Amino acid sequence: MRLQNYGFRNFVGCGFGILLPMSGPVKMVGLSLGEKHFIKGGIDQNIRSDGRKRDYYRPIFVETGVIPQANGSARVRMGATEVIASVKAELGKPSALHPDKGKVVIFVDCSAVAEPTFEGRGGEELSAELSVALERCLLGGTSGAGAGIDLTSLIVAEGKICWDLYIDSLVISSDGNLLDALGASIKAALANTAIPKVNISAAASADEQPEVDISDEEFLQFDTSAVPVIITLTQVGRHYIVDATSEEESHMSSAVSISVNRKGHVCGLTKRGGEGLDPSVVSDMISVAQHLSELLMSRLDSEISAAEAEIGDDEES
Amino acid sequence: MANFSTGDRKRKPKGDRRSTEISLVIRQTMEACILTHLMPRSQIDIYVQVLQADGGTRSACINAATLALADAGIPMRDLVTSCSSGYLNSTPLLDLNYLEDSAGGPDVTVGFLPKLDRVTLLQMDAKLPVDIVENVMQLAIEGCKAIATYIREVLLENTKQLEYRRGL
Repeated sequence: MRLQNYGFRNFVGCGFGILLPMSGPVKMVGLSLGEKHFIKGGIDQNIRSDGRKRDYYRPIFVETGVIPQANGSARVRMGATEVIASVKAELGKPSALHPDKGKVVIFVDCSAVAEPTFEGRGGEELSAELSVALERCLLGGTSGAGAGIDLTSLIVAEGKICWDLYIDSLVISSDGNLLDALGASIKAALANTAIPKVNISAAASADEQPEVDISDEEFLQFDTSAVPVIITLTQVGRHYIVDATSEEESHMSSAVSISVNRKGHVCGLTKRGGEGLDPSVVSDMISVAQHLSELLMSRLDSEISAAEAEIGDDEES
Repeated sequence: MANFSTGDRKRKPKGDRRSTEISLVIRQTMEACILTHLMPRSQIDIYVQVLQADGGTRSACINAATLALADAGIPMRDLVTSCSSGYLNSTPLLDLNYLEDSAGGPDVTVGFLPKLDRVTLLQMDAKLPVDIVENVMQLAIEGCKAIATYIREVLLENTKQLEYRRGL
């Protein structure tokens, strides 16, 4: 359950579990053979357990500005999967290799509230996998080429001062398709991000660190038109589905996550799972992802603008 | 505590000293209150995720844990409520936020069982004159009683909703 205690300006989430000690914690969701056949059979016939077709997403809810202390934040719910992303901007020094680019760091944390197994260091492996996959999809190659986020817009004084963006995501509830939800939450958080304007004192020589004055009043909204969305296609049996629940994911043979931007270009690709895929299947998956990305992108854009408009209304009233 | 919960970004969301200490405090407070003998051979896990910290974090965690336990139907001796108070400018203050907390005055956290009228948790840092301690602690206890009333209202409302959904 979630408790929002407005009177105390603290936001705390609380989760619960009761374990019956056998040989270590027993996962509460264990599927019987009959259930497994049911799920597989449903997918074969294009009717999944919750009634969706293979290429339908679950209902998506977006809320922005949930963490007032951060420069930008968003909470995204896809069915029962819920994630929060926050963007914090700090001034730093650009790297010597790319003096004209700012820096972005993406970090994912899996909360124990989502799964008891994420307690302590249990969720570290999954967190690392998700962080790297997100960086691959959104930040382009090591040279920074092809990044979904324009790093040159983060520069303040070339070679000396740049903005460092720390994108932190928290998985609060896990019911499959974490990567898509995280990608959507980062896109929404960036749309909500306001980076303060910096005035540099002009009289600074080439070697000195210039004086900076961070404005409290003026802000620049981040340009998210190039940020891609991530579509994960999970192969179960002979078909692949989009937006798998954790039940469906437990039967997957392989999954391919493809990030596609507004122009329909593929920005990153990650394949998980042990089963090999025929190359023609992969090409087919990419074209399906490109088609689905248009729908998901327009849906996210409308949700994000609705969420931002709500904040605007709240501020005016 | 989440990475983004504090003003300056934290490096390690888990396993840092502050989180471990708060976890210990919550566990000890709750252990005293839950009727564990009614649930033999079972383990109760309480996971608290702090999304934003602005003073009084451990109080919020304890209050949230109480509500979650009540929501789960775990039998307890009483609702555990918690509140913090401080002393700045010769005035006792209830529920300090982060700025007031960092102003250098004392920070007293009290965990209270309202029905049994007992203090289960008492923590204080910094200095406080001995004759003022009683006042500041009493203020925090009043805060706890107010929270307890509010928690009880919320739980009653929740139960009414459940009854309604069951068609009673």
